[in-house]
Amino acid sequence: MDFSVLNGALASKSFNRIADICDNLMLQVAAEGVAFQDEWPFAIHLLGHIYVDDINSARFLWKSIPAAIKESQPELVAAWKIGQKLWTRDYAGVYDAIRGFDWSQETQVLVASFSELYTKRMFGLLLSAYSTISIQDAAQFLGMSEDDATNYIRTFVLPVHAKCINLETLNKFGKDALRQGWTVDPVSQMLTVKKQAIVREQKLDPGKLQCLTEYVFHLEH
Amino acid sequence: MLGSLSNKIEACTAGPVTKEQASTFALIIARFISSCVADQIRLAPDKFISVCKRFKDQVLLLEEPLHGVAPMLTAIRKLQSSTEHLTTLHPEFLLLCLLAKCYRTGLSILEEDIFEVDQPRDLFLYCYYGGMICVGQKRFQKALELLHNVVTAPMSTINAIAVEAYKKYILVSLILHGQFSTSLPKYASSVAQRNLKNLCQPYVELANSYNNGKVADLETYVKANEEKFQSDNNLGLVKQVISSMYKRNIQRLTQTYLTLSLHDIANTVQLNSPKEAEMHVLQMIQDGEIYATINQKDGMVRFLEDPEQYKTCEMIERIDSSIQRLMTLSKKLTVMDELMSCDPLYLAKAGRERQRLDFDDFDTVPQKY
Repeated sequence: MDFSVLNGALASKSFNRIADICDNLMLQVAAEGVAFQDEWPFAIHLLGHIYVDDINSARFLWKSIPAAIKESQPELVAAWKIGQKLWTRDYAGVYDAIRGFDWSQETQVLVASFSELYTKRMFGLLLSAYSTISIQDAAQFLGMSEDDATNYIRTFVLPVHAKCINLETLNKFGKDALRQGWTVDPVSQMLTVKKQAIVREQKLDPGKLQCLTEYVFHLEH
Repeated sequence: MLGSLSNKIEACTAGPVTKEQASTFALIIARFISSCVADQIRLAPDKFISVCKRFKDQVLLLEEPLHGVAPMLTAIRKLQSSTEHLTTLHPEFLLLCLLAKCYRTGLSILEEDIFEVDQPRDLFLYCYYGGMICVGQKRFQKALELLHNVVTAPMSTINAIAVEAYKKYILVSLILHGQFSTSLPKYASSVAQRNLKNLCQPYVELANSYNNGKVADLETYVKANEEKFQSDNNLGLVKQVISSMYKRNIQRLTQTYLTLSLHDIANTVQLNSPKEAEMHVLQMIQDGEIYATINQKDGMVRFLEDPEQYKTCEMIERIDSSIQRLMTLSKKLTVMDELMSCDPLYLAKAGRERQRLDFDDFDTVPQKY
């Protein structure tokens, strides 16, 4: 089996291409009748789906893996645990699943990158869904412990859970939160979320005018 | 080459086959499919199709549907004259995808618009399997569209595919829209209009129970009929219908209230605690199903309007591409209409009809003044 494309994508950190690469390679190899399953990088394949937020595909892949392989690869089981937590929307549980396993060298970068991405997604969700939120809950969404969350009020800087994989990102997020104008009410231990105005491109190129002319022409004929 | 291969396979697979033999055949055919020339096999499409079908049988005999997915897709690409052409191999490919759990691979051909069909059965199966793949990937909009095509397709007698499709159609419609109307559109065949409802009674009753909006009642009904749903392999979908009801009820609240406490949401929607209500609302915000903000401090939810203002570049691109697709479609319709109005068969029939229906030919009943 030729894993050079996959390895290339892993090396260049193009993690969003992994699911596609693995899917295609698997179909090719299977068509050749090769018994590929014993040496297939199932954990990476699964994490590839999880990375692009395609939990459905991750779930179907997991279902198609033979039981013997699941039993012999603890890392695969650990990877699916992340998928399970995402599937059941156990937001804080995702971080536990990430931290709960000693990832091998090949998967470590992928998992760390996913964790970073997931924190970003969660931060976005907090921003869009809450006007006020308890520090405790916010800490859970961002993957931190409650102790660190109380410290947060005192120091106004986000301390990070010791075992967390991506220390830097979380630290950055904490500071970002305050810089973006979030305020803390020390009595109720609530954060007030400040909505960000999202700037979107609204300018159009003049070529669209040509299209409009064509549409009108079409309607009249 | 194709002819001899076809004959050989015909001869070899006629009797009982061992697993090893099947595996060798499958490999030979897979290699043939990948190396054959498209122009040549299109000269003998029937032979090619029968070879591919044998191939599918062998792969299924080996219980290795995954082995057949990629070759079958190649076979489709080589056989079809354009992506608008639905071949007999389309449903075979989707079936292999379903069995091998390669749902994502199956989606790739479902995105192509179909305008040409060889056999009605191909379309029925293609839309039914396609609907199942979309359900698996939770693309309920597309799934509903495909299943809708099955139940409204022209048919002279009722068929099993349409019946099974109608069951799933009811369930997906409840999940997606939170409602189901038992009347089919006018263009559906009269056979479907008359029979489908009676053949899917438990599902129609489920939809009735859903319309009452009471989760507990729905759950009781499902429990009582669990075996029926299970034997149809629809229990998973039925369970999704139940959980969609919470969403539906929360969505209803957004039409009445501007702000509402989590406590009240939990009570009206029949959830156990305000926290559970918060999680439901949060999930719906995450999925873009409602627009709201949660205020944990006061335990309130504020419902908002859809923030989309239809003036970003992205949105304009989307509208633009929709218009383009519609224009292509309308041009296709015009061409088809012209073709049909030149068709002697149609003209002969329409001519006769017109004669019969022409107003002047009627002896109108003398009116009394």
